[in-house]
Amino acid sequence: MEQHNRFWRIALLSLPLGVFGLFVIWPLFSSFYYSFTNWNGFDANYSYVGFDNFAKIATDRLFLQAAVNTTIWMIAAIVLPTALGLMLALLLDSRVAGARVFKSIFYLPICLSAVIVGQIWTWIYQPDWGLLNTVITQATGEKFKYAWLAKPDTALWSVIVAWSWQQTGLSMVIYLAGLTAIPGDLLEVCEIEGASPWQRFRRVVLPLLAPSTVVVVALSVINSLKGFDILYIMTGGGPFNSSDTLAMHMYNESFKKYLMGYGSAISVVLFLIALAIIGLYFRQLRKVDRIYG
Amino acid sequence: MADTLPRTRFNPWPATVFTVLCVLAVLFLLPTVGVLLSSIKTTREISMGQLWSAPASLFLGNFTEVLGNPAVHRYFLNTLLVTLPATAVSITLGALAGYVFAKLPFRGSNALFLVIVAGMFFPPQVILVPLFRLFNGLGLIDTLWPVIIVHSALGLPICVLMMRNFFATVPNALREAAIMEGASEWQVLTRVVLPLSLPALAVLATLQFTWIWNDFLWPLIFTQSDTKRTIMIGIVNLKGQYSVAWGVQGALSLVASLPTLLVFLFFQRFFIKGMTMGAVKG
Repeated sequence: MEQHNRFWRIALLSLPLGVFGLFVIWPLFSSFYYSFTNWNGFDANYSYVGFDNFAKIATDRLFLQAAVNTTIWMIAAIVLPTALGLMLALLLDSRVAGARVFKSIFYLPICLSAVIVGQIWTWIYQPDWGLLNTVITQATGEKFKYAWLAKPDTALWSVIVAWSWQQTGLSMVIYLAGLTAIPGDLLEVCEIEGASPWQRFRRVVLPLLAPSTVVVVALSVINSLKGFDILYIMTGGGPFNSSDTLAMHMYNESFKKYLMGYGSAISVVLFLIALAIIGLYFRQLRKVDRIYG
Repeated sequence: MADTLPRTRFNPWPATVFTVLCVLAVLFLLPTVGVLLSSIKTTREISMGQLWSAPASLFLGNFTEVLGNPAVHRYFLNTLLVTLPATAVSITLGALAGYVFAKLPFRGSNALFLVIVAGMFFPPQVILVPLFRLFNGLGLIDTLWPVIIVHSALGLPICVLMMRNFFATVPNALREAAIMEGASEWQVLTRVVLPLSLPALAVLATLQFTWIWNDFLWPLIFTQSDTKRTIMIGIVNLKGQYSVAWGVQGALSLVASLPTLLVFLFFQRFFIKGMTMGAVKG
């Protein structure tokens, strides 16, 4: 029997593991290797440069800018889609009429491509006839003309808002799943005992949603680290790199400047950041499991 | 008794909640409505600041322009040629591995499973350069092959996760009985377990189709000539051609999103289930 099982394990696993190993795991380790070289993307010859690429990272002004922007993006990702998603979930969980239609509306952006989302929001920010400037013009009575995506002060935030619009639906459904697990009787008892709505939310609902919060926050942070397509469409990292992120910087150095060795070094840093976040996530998940599981 | 009473949820003010939701829904829909409106307006109307007002008449010229453009046909065909095989392959491979993890566990199989699932969380930039070099060496740059292959491989984490979790709910007694009857593991998988797993397959098919259809990064890296581009890259390419033809751009976005919108409309249940399952279990 054991021999039978072993045969089938190998027979069934070899293809998926082969594909995963060859096209995901092996490239991952290769990235580490290339990060110590000066490969330019074309030449067969390249040389080993030791820690030069990592030393360059430490002094690269654009890298620093991208790192700061990625951090801003992450913090905004924790606040915006999470808070909005929680609010929507709470509103929808209250047996309101048409909850299913509302849910679909808030969820719809998730199935759109980042390219489309980027385009839609580029139009909202369009200086001449964009929705945002039109609304401001009508509210103030003066012709308002501001190029949101072309100004270093607002470019990054404008993209983050567009991105949050798309991500909120995801946070919402995860919170909704968490909310349905909270027994109605419990809230009823609290009400009978005289707990105010705020107390019920703060002391009962929110603590019981802790597992969902861990998932939502982790997902938002991880997705913010992947933020590339929408940025590429809306600002391309500009103006003057003011909306560059690490993912964008890595792409630019590797595929625009063809500094693939240096790009690999950036991707190694990106990998380590992701690894740290995922480690933290699994630890929190286990902690929450112990308390509420 | 408890069933007959309406459950008290966290809702002190039902009318207020409904109003707030309506306002939020309108705000949320605005961007999408803008694209819809633009697609039925002339460029002249839009550049005169008429995009966000109700349309005076239905203008279909943008759609005839988009649907009559041979480049759009090619982008669509390329996207289908990538999306369909990559979806099928990733789910098939996910089912094979998921079956072993659920029904034939071995020492270290849980760790291996975790390593695969963790792949879901890493930014794709981490493997960009080596994959470019690999496919460049194989002479496959500027073909659709690398896009298909990479999507098949990167789909594995979610597919393995979902299939293993679903297979785990199929009773072991079923497999043992079939084996007693003389069935091979392959027959158990294809004749017994998979037919029971149609919901999981539906979830994965909707998720994978949507993600791969919408993808931008991999075709950007691996394809170069216009004849090999997929639709999402195509939209960006055509921006030059229709630089201020906003209405045509709107119609193009709409047409490009149509397949995923249809999938969302008809399989929303599976879609949402997949998103939450993937997120929560991961």
